[in-house]
Amino acid sequence: MGKSLKALEKKVRKKISPDVSLREWRDSIVLEGMVGTWEQLYNAGKICANQGYKGVVNKLKVYDLDIPPAKKPLLTDNFLQDKKVDVLIIGAGIIGCAIARELCKWQLSILLVDKEDDVAMHASSRNDGMIHSGIEPKIGSKKALYNVKGNEMYTRIGQELDVKIIRCGSSVLFDRKLLSLAKPVLDIRAQKMGVKGVTVLSKEEVLRKEPHIGVPVAGALHLASVGITSPYKMTVAYAENAVQNGAEVSLNTIVLAMQKEHDRITSVVTNRGTVYPKLVINAAGVFADIIADMAGDQFFTIHPRKGHILFLDKKKGELINGVIGKPSLSLAKGNTKGGGVVKTVDGNVLVGPDAYEQPFREDFSTDMENIAAIMEKHLPLVKGFSPSDVIAYCAGIRASTYEEDFIVERSDYVPNLVYAAGIQSPGFASAPAIAEEIEQITCKALGEVMEVKPNIHWNPIRKGIPDISHMDFAARSQIIKENPHYGEIVCRCEGISKGEIIDALNSPLPVYSADAIKRRVRAGMGRCQGGFCLPTVMTIIHEETGIPMTAITKKGNNSNIVVAETKQSPKSGGEMNEQI
Amino acid sequence: MRNLVCIECPIGCSLTAEKSGEQWEVKGNRCTKGVDFAINEITDPRRSICSTVRTTFKTVPRLSVRTQGEVPLNTIFEVMEQINSVKLDHPVHIGEVIIENVSNTGINVIATSDLYYLLEEDQR
Amino acid sequence: MNRYDVVVLGGGPAGLSAAWAASLNGMNTLIIERENRLGGILKQCIHDGFGLVKFKEKLTGPEYAQRYIDLVKQNNIPVLMNTFVIKVEREQDDFVITVVNSSQGVAQIRAKALILATGCRERTAKQVFINGTRPAGIYTAGTAQHFVNLEGYLPGKKCVILGSGDIGLIMARRLTLEGAQVLGVYEAKKTPSGLSRNIAQCLNDFDIPLHLATTITRVFGDDRVEAVETARVDEHMIPIEGTEEIITCDSVILSVGLIPENEIAEMLDIEMDHVTKGPVVDQNFMTSVAGVFSCGNALHVNDLVDYVSESGEIAGEKAAQYVRETSEREFVDISMVGQDFLYVVPQHIDIKADNKTVILYFRSREVRENMRVTIKSGENVLFSKRYIKLKPPEMERVRLNLKGDLSSGVIDLIMEPVKGKEMAP
Repeated sequence: MGKSLKALEKKVRKKISPDVSLREWRDSIVLEGMVGTWEQLYNAGKICANQGYKGVVNKLKVYDLDIPPAKKPLLTDNFLQDKKVDVLIIGAGIIGCAIARELCKWQLSILLVDKEDDVAMHASSRNDGMIHSGIEPKIGSKKALYNVKGNEMYTRIGQELDVKIIRCGSSVLFDRKLLSLAKPVLDIRAQKMGVKGVTVLSKEEVLRKEPHIGVPVAGALHLASVGITSPYKMTVAYAENAVQNGAEVSLNTIVLAMQKEHDRITSVVTNRGTVYPKLVINAAGVFADIIADMAGDQFFTIHPRKGHILFLDKKKGELINGVIGKPSLSLAKGNTKGGGVVKTVDGNVLVGPDAYEQPFREDFSTDMENIAAIMEKHLPLVKGFSPSDVIAYCAGIRASTYEEDFIVERSDYVPNLVYAAGIQSPGFASAPAIAEEIEQITCKALGEVMEVKPNIHWNPIRKGIPDISHMDFAARSQIIKENPHYGEIVCRCEGISKGEIIDALNSPLPVYSADAIKRRVRAGMGRCQGGFCLPTVMTIIHEETGIPMTAITKKGNNSNIVVAETKQSPKSGGEMNEQI
Repeated sequence: MRNLVCIECPIGCSLTAEKSGEQWEVKGNRCTKGVDFAINEITDPRRSICSTVRTTFKTVPRLSVRTQGEVPLNTIFEVMEQINSVKLDHPVHIGEVIIENVSNTGINVIATSDLYYLLEEDQR
Repeated sequence: MNRYDVVVLGGGPAGLSAAWAASLNGMNTLIIERENRLGGILKQCIHDGFGLVKFKEKLTGPEYAQRYIDLVKQNNIPVLMNTFVIKVEREQDDFVITVVNSSQGVAQIRAKALILATGCRERTAKQVFINGTRPAGIYTAGTAQHFVNLEGYLPGKKCVILGSGDIGLIMARRLTLEGAQVLGVYEAKKTPSGLSRNIAQCLNDFDIPLHLATTITRVFGDDRVEAVETARVDEHMIPIEGTEEIITCDSVILSVGLIPENEIAEMLDIEMDHVTKGPVVDQNFMTSVAGVFSCGNALHVNDLVDYVSESGEIAGEKAAQYVRETSEREFVDISMVGQDFLYVVPQHIDIKADNKTVILYFRSREVRENMRVTIKSGENVLFSKRYIKLKPPEMERVRLNLKGDLSSGVIDLIMEPVKGKEMAP
């Protein structure tokens, strides 16, 4: 027990609202009561964080604020009814998929579930794909530990899973020469944290690396170990490798409740039936605290921190070589690295992110104010970037806890519940290391109730879909000779062939929506945003799977792309027609 | 009193037409075409209709057609109904009649795409 | 490796007429087309209004295209269909075009002259900064047109249309005819962008309201569009606070502009005009790279396909001339005086070329009435015409006689109000 509960309560009541009361529950601190704004709710939680308690359980409510529950998939059936598995992983983002893959090293029956129509639908497809160096997090934090490890591991992972990674390095600019005197401090920090390749560059050296920098620069902190990759392709790759090694994935599957006996989870109720796992892994992202609560074990709370990112046309990609950022005084409105501009692995430029607290866990809508602010802050970093280069933008929600660190551990109270929760940035960079840690924790916990034997058929190698547009001409001709579909270009902005789309529809974890195809082969991600290729992509989905055109969706559930065939009933005139 | 914008040429004169006895008096026109246009629009507005018909060909599920001339404005949806009831099962050339005398307007509906050409390209 | 005199990239109306003209002038010509049929965008433009200038007939898009497809077939001009250009580069006096298709894999084609007839693409929702959610149901007008006219599917049943350009207006009518409900057309500018004929026959005929100085700012809906937020805008097209309205709908059709496709021109480092978004050309439609020509919508967005064909024919003819005899060029810029013009194509005249007449296209920056447009070189007046009305959406075509003294080194394009009393035309 740390700081006196009473003192904290007094502070919260004074600074936030008198209608708040605090109590202890197990090792956590619980806030209850009513406040006027979300900002107050968040700030109350923040005051109580890292004050000697394991976690903050923020049960405060905001007057007149209705927060919707997790969006349920439309599907309801008994597909999973009475299924017994060794491990149930809840959440198929990068963390859940990586864990599934690592656990395949063992002879375990693994079921990975996600309530969305595809893997990587939340934060894992809405981040900049940066493999951070690990130097930024607080020394001694889990973020620091797993980030550094994950960064190193990605080279092997990228090769095993056939996902392209570029170690482009990151230049954190500063405009005052004095800051270069920080070199010795940085060296010590880098050494302490095990981060290699940290150097301080002079103005000339920075400009040689990034000749088009558009702001005054006196030098830069250069982090050579920083890499970039496609976060959703990596997630898909992990998932596919898991499936190839025997794991099962059930999408459109939402966990609704859990039953316990003698502190152990005995069954998990889903919209597809009740499952009986020996062990449950909570990798449920923004809903990890809700899942924890279902097990009577909520010792933390997720406060959703939203961020926008923008994408610029590939044409401008030649103006930047790696990652460029410039910290400002308004850097961390809540733990963001400040953002910057990133040259993605596909040659686009990614701009942002921003970060702000808000109540909604799945609100991926974008706002013009945020887009405008990001453009104003970051576009000037490179000469030649302009708002007219923007081809797309999106928003993501970070699964942040009040402690602002990862939770990678076995539950203190539920012996067959393991947590990979609160994974916010640098979550993607840390994923391989978190997965291996969870693998160890899981095997140890399972070892108490069964014999955990190695899987001798484990194959870490997964072959991805051939990247046709980047092949050299000879190799490309050869592969087209073997399969002429690779010679038919469907997405002209990205140069994606029919063959690649067919491959995606026949992958180990096939998903048949237009967005799923986009995530796997990029068709529709170019400057015309699918204007030309969408009808053709749909035709290919239809021909390959038999799904009628009117049933093909953008992203599952009711997101059908076209609503009806024309001329279904001959009488199809304007106001006269009520039938269609 | 009717207000219209003449569409006979890009100038687009703003016309007004007022009934005076049996005649319509047109004002605002810069040329005589405007008078004819206004009177026609008021007394007997007509339109050409361009649409598609269903076909039985998987690779060409719709074939473009149009009325071979203008039909009365108030028959648009009736004509569309007729067009929508067609299911073309044989190739046609541009100009071939798909529906004769559609909705008793005296106007034919003709094919405007060459279905022979479209199917031929798919054979390649 | 395949060798040709002239290779045309694009088999739409511009490419077809360019190839035909080149072939007619004795050139060994090839068309490269990435789709599986010729005709370009005309295949899905099933409405009429095409060919009034060229053929004095009111044709639909496919009919117009077929005229040129037939010419290409009759002249036995070879076409590489389903073929995508991945690279173009200069190699000594030739152009080497690297293509990919199913039957040949990656292949290379050599050409003495190149005609870029690559058309344009549509501006997207993100490029006009529409915010909110990203549900199914947001389509550019061209994509919606493809669904309806080629595949036979409705993109929505209750649509709002953003943009009063011709494509948006045409789709308003088309969707209505096929049984959808078009709730309204929203236009951020104060005046509509499309032709008056289309406002009358696509909107007024069907009582579809046109909301000017209003834009769509936000989309709502999880899986599918459920509503949009509209707002009135000021002269700078900034939404005015307090004027927001929510409209329930299930689809948003965007007609917010066309952008010439010039990825290949950029590969060759061709000088571009940032207003037209197409290459800078001379009166023969030759770009800054000798031997490379540009025509059709890739050069600048046209209103009438008749002029697209015309530019293709000139490009084809002149490409043939170039192949027969390359010569040094000497440019005189066409200078747009003041702020009255949006752009002029060509941007400069090669005074060493042998043309006696030259075709010019220009657009006025704003709606103007009673203006005189003069083109002169020093004191030498080459052209003078009075226009009762000039509108940005209506491109003007000028036939210029290059006569007299051009030694002043510049050609001025001037617009000024007509002096004196209004005369009957």
